[in-house]
Amino acid sequence: MLNKGRLMGGVAVATALLFGSISSAAAFTACQVTDTGGIDDAGFNQTAWKGVQDAMEAKGIEGRFLESQAETDYEANLNSLLGGACDVIITVGFLMGDATKAAAEANPDQKFSIVDFAYDPTIPNVVGQVFATEQAAFLAGYLAAGMSETGVIGTFGGINIPPVTVFMDGFVHGAEYYNEKKGTDVTVLGWDPEDKDGLFTNNFESLDDGRTFAQNLYDEGADIVMPVAGPVGLGSAALADELGTDKLKIVGVDADQYMTDTEKQNVYLTSVLKRMDATVQAVIDSVMDDTFEGGVTVGTLENDGVGLAPFHDFEDAVPAELKSEIEEIKAGIIDGSISIGG
Amino acid sequence: MDVELRGITKRFGPVTANDDVNLTIRAGEVLGLLGENGAGKSTMMNILSGLYSPDEGQILIDGKPVDFEGPGDGIAAGIGMVHQHFMLVPVFTVAENVILGVEPTGRFDYLDLATARKQVRDINEKYGLQVDPDALIEDLPVGIQQRVEILKVLFRSAEVLILDEPTAVLTPQEVEEFFGIVKSLRDAGKAIVFITHKLHEIIEIADRINVLRGGRITGEGDPKTLTENQLAEMMVGRPVSFDVKKGPFDPKETLLEVKNLVVLRENDEIAVNHASFHVRSGEVVGIAGVQGNGQSALIEAVTGLHHVTAGSISFLGKDITNASARERHRMGMAHIPEDRHKSGMISNFTIYENMVLNTYYDDRFSNGPNIKWPEVLKTAAQYAIDFDVRTPSVYLKAGNLSGGNQQKMVVARELERETKLVIAAQPTRGLDVGSIEYIHSRLMDARDEGDGVIIVSSELDEIMSLSDRILVMFEGRIVAEFDATAGPVDKNAVGLAMAGAHE
Amino acid sequence: MTDTSNRDTLTAKLLQRAAPGRAEFEDLVIVPIFAVIVALIVGALVMLATAVDIQTIGRSYLALLQGSVGSINSLSETLTSAIPLVLAGLGLALGFRAGLFNIGAEGQIIVGGIAAVIVGFSFPGMPWIIHLPLALLAGAVAGGLYASIAGWLRAATGAHEVISTIMLNLISYRLLDYMLGLTWMQREGRSDPVSKSVVPSAELPRLLTDIDPNLRLHAGIFVMIGAVILVYWLLFKTKTGFEFRASGENPDAARYAGMRASLIIVLAMATAGALAGLAGANQVLGVLERATPGFSAGIGFDAISVALLGRSHPIGVLFAGLLFGALEAGGRQMQVDAGVSIDLIGIIQALIIVFIAAPLLVRAIFPWGFRKPAERKE
Repeated sequence: MLNKGRLMGGVAVATALLFGSISSAAAFTACQVTDTGGIDDAGFNQTAWKGVQDAMEAKGIEGRFLESQAETDYEANLNSLLGGACDVIITVGFLMGDATKAAAEANPDQKFSIVDFAYDPTIPNVVGQVFATEQAAFLAGYLAAGMSETGVIGTFGGINIPPVTVFMDGFVHGAEYYNEKKGTDVTVLGWDPEDKDGLFTNNFESLDDGRTFAQNLYDEGADIVMPVAGPVGLGSAALADELGTDKLKIVGVDADQYMTDTEKQNVYLTSVLKRMDATVQAVIDSVMDDTFEGGVTVGTLENDGVGLAPFHDFEDAVPAELKSEIEEIKAGIIDGSISIGG
Repeated sequence: MDVELRGITKRFGPVTANDDVNLTIRAGEVLGLLGENGAGKSTMMNILSGLYSPDEGQILIDGKPVDFEGPGDGIAAGIGMVHQHFMLVPVFTVAENVILGVEPTGRFDYLDLATARKQVRDINEKYGLQVDPDALIEDLPVGIQQRVEILKVLFRSAEVLILDEPTAVLTPQEVEEFFGIVKSLRDAGKAIVFITHKLHEIIEIADRINVLRGGRITGEGDPKTLTENQLAEMMVGRPVSFDVKKGPFDPKETLLEVKNLVVLRENDEIAVNHASFHVRSGEVVGIAGVQGNGQSALIEAVTGLHHVTAGSISFLGKDITNASARERHRMGMAHIPEDRHKSGMISNFTIYENMVLNTYYDDRFSNGPNIKWPEVLKTAAQYAIDFDVRTPSVYLKAGNLSGGNQQKMVVARELERETKLVIAAQPTRGLDVGSIEYIHSRLMDARDEGDGVIIVSSELDEIMSLSDRILVMFEGRIVAEFDATAGPVDKNAVGLAMAGAHE
Repeated sequence: MTDTSNRDTLTAKLLQRAAPGRAEFEDLVIVPIFAVIVALIVGALVMLATAVDIQTIGRSYLALLQGSVGSINSLSETLTSAIPLVLAGLGLALGFRAGLFNIGAEGQIIVGGIAAVIVGFSFPGMPWIIHLPLALLAGAVAGGLYASIAGWLRAATGAHEVISTIMLNLISYRLLDYMLGLTWMQREGRSDPVSKSVVPSAELPRLLTDIDPNLRLHAGIFVMIGAVILVYWLLFKTKTGFEFRASGENPDAARYAGMRASLIIVLAMATAGALAGLAGANQVLGVLERATPGFSAGIGFDAISVALLGRSHPIGVLFAGLLFGALEAGGRQMQVDAGVSIDLIGIIQALIIVFIAAPLLVRAIFPWGFRKPAERKE
């Protein structure tokens, strides 16, 4: 009898737990699938998740996320979120483009949004969020060229894919624009916009690679480096912290890394912002008030979808003249008077 | 110091290893303990050294009961064990090995090697051990290494010395010297327990003999009045014949012809130095020699397991100098390897798998890529019956068999097929009297059926009793040949040749 | 002399297979079950230590169960994850049996996957009955050849396979990066490292899309079952398998028995590599339908655990692979339902291995589950 009683008790607890999980699923739920960088990459996965978190706070919705450990996980992770538990599924990253498309086409009633991918033609139940990152990166390139003491700056990417290389394009072109205006000869290492070729770690995970690549660029004379590789850049930041910011500064990407990488925040000259948190939150809002429509949203300097982060610790180090030039260029890009194509 | 075991019983699950054993060990006396493998000798000695505690019974030292709780307690009470397998660090000196574990230390844990060496030298002199305390173990011959083991227990103030199969690794000359040491220890008042299964040795050295069989003491007696046959009967439980039965010597054609064979070791030392000999059908050729004088390399070269540097080997009229082991095997060469654990069998394989270890590819046992396991099983059972391999089932792992049964399994596999030449290296090493008798008779059967037989053994007695012709190897060369068909060979002469005294 | 009838009874007795002992049963069944239980308990403690509340822990284990076997979708995911683990695990198990500690399954998966994907996109219009087997074969052959490099190095120069296979893994990563950067390999209109997609005639067809289009289980499961049977047959029924096992257990005895060590090493490595290559082909033809950087996803390393857990026996590997597949699929559900980190699944997997590798520890924790050691000696 005693055993039976205990068993029943166990069943009751289990049932309660089960129902607990089901009842909590009844509210509006936004789900996110990260790419292999993970939710705490201090970069775009984290920024997108911040959008979900902001919505959780503002609208009282429920948010869930699934981390992908390998590319083979994308489809599986998407699958495990299907089945009606999520009102909208947000996938993060260009590399999830195919998996998201397949899932969206197989499940036309499920609403999706993907960061960093635009479908052509568009899919009715997917919103692609893309960013004119090159605009913000252009400003960063100009700033870095103006701040460099060695006349050499550098960049490297995670994988040679458009959402990564647009940063590098803008960075290079910004520096070239500075040379053109000032008659200087600042070199950018790590990316050739013409050949579409440069330095890539070929992963979005290894902090060791981030350190090695930054070290190599530093050895070649670069004193400002922009890593475009998610958490890989944290390794570069660690190197800059050890060397000292007078030797090596880092330009952050995606989020304001001064805020997300708080341990090494002193090394960030600025960050090239890609305001995925804003666009993700906007998509969630549109689903909630039933205005969701498949297509593409583009974040620009004009609509604050992209931008340059504050200089924080370097506020005083950046000359006022350079600051005002950057403001002018920003205005010029917005009104189209400055071409960022190089 | 006197030690008495009173009513000792030790069980392992359903097996009773020692059953109400009473034994007295007296100072100044050599007690011979005789028994087959598995008779319970080791269990008893492990109880005496404190490794096992008995289920029943008592140990008394000088009349006072003691209670050993761990392996350290035996030596602390003055009972020292010299194991069959040495436990020495090869790269240490004798003195370092002796003090290992009980290092005399000065202040600040300083290792006082000078004192240690002096103590070792004192013990050396007292018992006539003649061991250089500063020699490295790896440079010493086996016989001297054994004395280091004895030094170790003496250094730990042992009054009772248990010697487990001490002569197994020694040459006849070394045995004689060793007996001298045992006698001097006895005369100095030590109590010695001499464990062996060699009858003539125990008669020679023991002052008193106890025979153990099936965990019980089955006989006790005075070596002066007991004969080998009586002891063997006590040990095995039935009359044992020591006379190897063999048919008349009638050699026929030459089967194996080895000419000017040179074999190098891996370090390019010469292992076999221009050896030439032949083996005829119906003849047993014994190769005597102290271990390490090239016999192993010679056998490996003949069986195709070792590269031949120079010279030639022909078998059944064909040159096989460069033939593979398998080719030779298929031609009818059987090889009972000197170390069954190293190469003769696979402990983790079943008995039936081991029974076809080198014949599995034969058409009898295979069909295309498949092995015909039902056929293998049936054959293995036949082999096991024919060769008296005692096992509950052929599905048993070979590692679970006793040493004697493992050897019978290997011998069965090698002899139960069409053979022309049987090469048996150490065919009875570590076996008990019953198994030895059996294996010898099967080897002689092979000879009488017209096979050539080569026997390599470190037991000179074995070579002497089986061979028609005896070759002696020393430092890679065949230094002497004795004809045993005309009459008994002078054992002393063979022993001298083994020691290199031919020139 | 024994008379005939006596001999027959003796023969019959010797041919009786000893009933599987209780000790064997304990080692093969009870220890793994307890190991899983202890691992889950310790996993719960780890969660507690990282400030996860008890309710969430309960929910996450329920999710683990649901996500692995709770629905047809879960079962499909479990099997999909298990297929490459079992295939690569079989290869490693075979190597272990032959005494070769092959760490290179990861590299063999990559090389096999590359070969399979090239064949997979190169012959549009070929009938599937030819194309699919050809793509699988390409994966197996490439994996086998790649592994036999390590085998050859071992046989010819004595270079230890642990070192050489690790190095071959590193080479394969860069080879993949390089290959995915080649224009003829890359998807049209993309400069990022993604290969062309496998054409449908070379895809391992999905089996359950009629029930639900999201079910990923594909025909690779038949490849897996076939491989289990093949490896079982090879190891235990053939001459080659006998040679593999003999060389693994006692190389000296194998040499004594006239087996050719170098040939066996190369052959065993090649077979192991072919199975790992099949696992790679399976991933690109059945799951991803193309090759991407990191498509091997560490399967080659998980497969080492699978092979060890399965005690290098094909059936054991099958069950171990299914367990790991279930943990992977269930782990995903744990993340979704309870928000527990996926890393925890890795910890639980590791704990299971630790406890299975330490049967004495498990016996000590659950003394009532086993007979007393003193009584075990038969």
